[in-house]
Amino acid sequence: MKAIKILHMYADMLDLYGDGGNMEILKYRCEKRGIGCEIEHYSAGTAMPDFSSYDLIYIGGGADLEQQHISDDLLKCRDGIVNAYKSGTFLFLICGGYQLMGKYYKDADGNKIPGLGLFDYYTVAPESRRMRCIGNIVIRTRITGEPVDVVGFENHGGQTHDVRTPFGEVVVGNGNCSGSSAEGYFEKNVIATYLHGPCLAKNPEISDYMIGYCLERAGATEKPAPLDDTLEKKCREVMLERLTRK
Amino acid sequence: MKRILILIGKIIVKLLRLFKRNAGNLPGIVLWHLSRHKCCGIFKVDCPIIAVTGTNGKTSVTNCIAQLFEKSGKNIIINREGNNLDTGICSLLLRHCDMSGRVKADYLILETDESHVPVVYSQLKLDTLVVLNFFRDQLDRNGEMETLIRKIDGFCKTFDGNLILNGDDPNTARLGRANPENKNVKYFHAKLYAFATEKIFEASEGRFCPFCGEALEYEYYQYSHIGKFLCGKCGFGDWQPYVTAENIDLEKPEFTVDGHTYSPKLNSIYNVYNMTAVAAAAKLHGIDGKIVDDVISNYTVKNGRMENFMLRDRKTTLNLAKNPVGANMTLRVMNEMQGEKELLFVLNDNVADGLDVSWIWDINFSIFERVTRVVTSGTRAYDIAVRIKCSGYDAAKIVVRPDLDEAVAELASTEGRKFVIANYTAVQPTRSALKRYIEKNGGQTDESN
Repeated sequence: MKAIKILHMYADMLDLYGDGGNMEILKYRCEKRGIGCEIEHYSAGTAMPDFSSYDLIYIGGGADLEQQHISDDLLKCRDGIVNAYKSGTFLFLICGGYQLMGKYYKDADGNKIPGLGLFDYYTVAPESRRMRCIGNIVIRTRITGEPVDVVGFENHGGQTHDVRTPFGEVVVGNGNCSGSSAEGYFEKNVIATYLHGPCLAKNPEISDYMIGYCLERAGATEKPAPLDDTLEKKCREVMLERLTRK
Repeated sequence: MKRILILIGKIIVKLLRLFKRNAGNLPGIVLWHLSRHKCCGIFKVDCPIIAVTGTNGKTSVTNCIAQLFEKSGKNIIINREGNNLDTGICSLLLRHCDMSGRVKADYLILETDESHVPVVYSQLKLDTLVVLNFFRDQLDRNGEMETLIRKIDGFCKTFDGNLILNGDDPNTARLGRANPENKNVKYFHAKLYAFATEKIFEASEGRFCPFCGEALEYEYYQYSHIGKFLCGKCGFGDWQPYVTAENIDLEKPEFTVDGHTYSPKLNSIYNVYNMTAVAAAAKLHGIDGKIVDDVISNYTVKNGRMENFMLRDRKTTLNLAKNPVGANMTLRVMNEMQGEKELLFVLNDNVADGLDVSWIWDINFSIFERVTRVVTSGTRAYDIAVRIKCSGYDAAKIVVRPDLDEAVAELASTEGRKFVIANYTAVQPTRSALKRYIEKNGGQTDESN
């Protein structure tokens, strides 16, 4: 089977809260199945890659300062990313990566950082840096057709509005806005979310959805083979039990 | 009004003592409310205050600086128990002031939480601020790293006292530019040591110039983002060091500052940086060279920081790791050691740990060498198990035992060398569990400390 090609953008700047772990997990789950997984990096100011040649593009989260630094560069990549997205490349976006694909991100100092405008949502950070959505979060997603409870950790100031197709409904925690019922943004080839933890650590179904998507797009007819997820599932079970205990 | 607050505070301290309760923080919390959040402003302090802040090493450096003055015959007040928030410092001063709030001492040496530096020292006049480093630590409590640095930077903008900064950490060195009028900014620096790398080894903060956004160029990395850096564009990092540690040899261990060679008890690059900060404070305050040597050469710790135990005949080293940097350091020490070994990792997610455990994904487990088995424990025993598994380590060799006594028994059930890493709130329970095991099955505590 062909290898999955991933472009990890701005790994050197947007790498808060262990988001790099998502790449380690995708690679691990591919290799366990004998599927190749090539992860390439793109840093601001370096040679422009051929975005459409990748199966998946990944962008993690960063602090306000880092987000300001990369936003100009990201705009330069706009056409390439739009074309890749339209041709079916999967976009996996965490926190800052999620925000910057929307119309704009207004930070706590009132600076408006333009997004790529790929999607209709926009994000506004409250003026007070103390007002943040922080804590363990459980969302129920149906992207695989079955309800799956996804457990992670959210830590964001930004409040994201006008999301039409969320990634999941909030069971415990805040989601897109403080106390909101929806979390993240989803399309067939887009998962955008505030979940750190990292997001994929105890939610193997999400990894496998993306791996499955990439394989199917490359012409595979079979779903990714099941792996032994005893530890991951037990890990999620322990947290679900703790967080949803009444 | 202030006298009434002092009186109330003193009564609370007396009552707590009468009932044999800890008066380390509660009196300060009460006064914090009564004083409209300015609980340190009710005291009169005429002597110089030296504060130590940063993510790692505060307690060590505070204690050493205190010893410098103690051994010089000075009367000092220090928050040894590590109550380092405004309420803790208020409680400390309550125990040492007279009824008018006057604090009598030659020096106050105060470990101060990073986020409380502006709070406390807008109320008390600060003489010297020592800033050690800023790492990812408990980010969910403090908000993002940048917010934290900005808070302290804001304080430094109007601060004209002595500012002793780690010149090798861009996160702290940048504070030296906060107040261009301040002529009392001093940088400490350490030259290349044997395990320094050309490329960054562990995930870290601050790889970009905070002033112009350019990627910082490093001559070498000592550990994490600590190293000799310079911004090629705006020149950030071109400071002159006030003290420099050189000829660093961790095998002996030895290092030289200003021509004097020190032989510390602890053999980590961490300790070299901490002691260089101590040497800078000593130089600034004119401490006698013999006393400096005495303090730096004899400093050691017994609180789960590279502490040794014998579980029956199995040598076991426990180390606290509050963040990836600490954990990566322990893994390095473990790897540099010959022979097979087993690791117990105890991970909690209590409030003081930071509720977010995603930092474990910044630990570089792929470097594991000759690690034959891993036991995991703590409130997040499964999280650390999954993390180690996904680094490529054989899942069949990972044993999860959330209960600490069971985990220690599991670890001790095989022969050979053992390592234990525990995060902040896990360290003391882990020490207790190790001691319980030893009481029951034999062995020794504090074998080489």
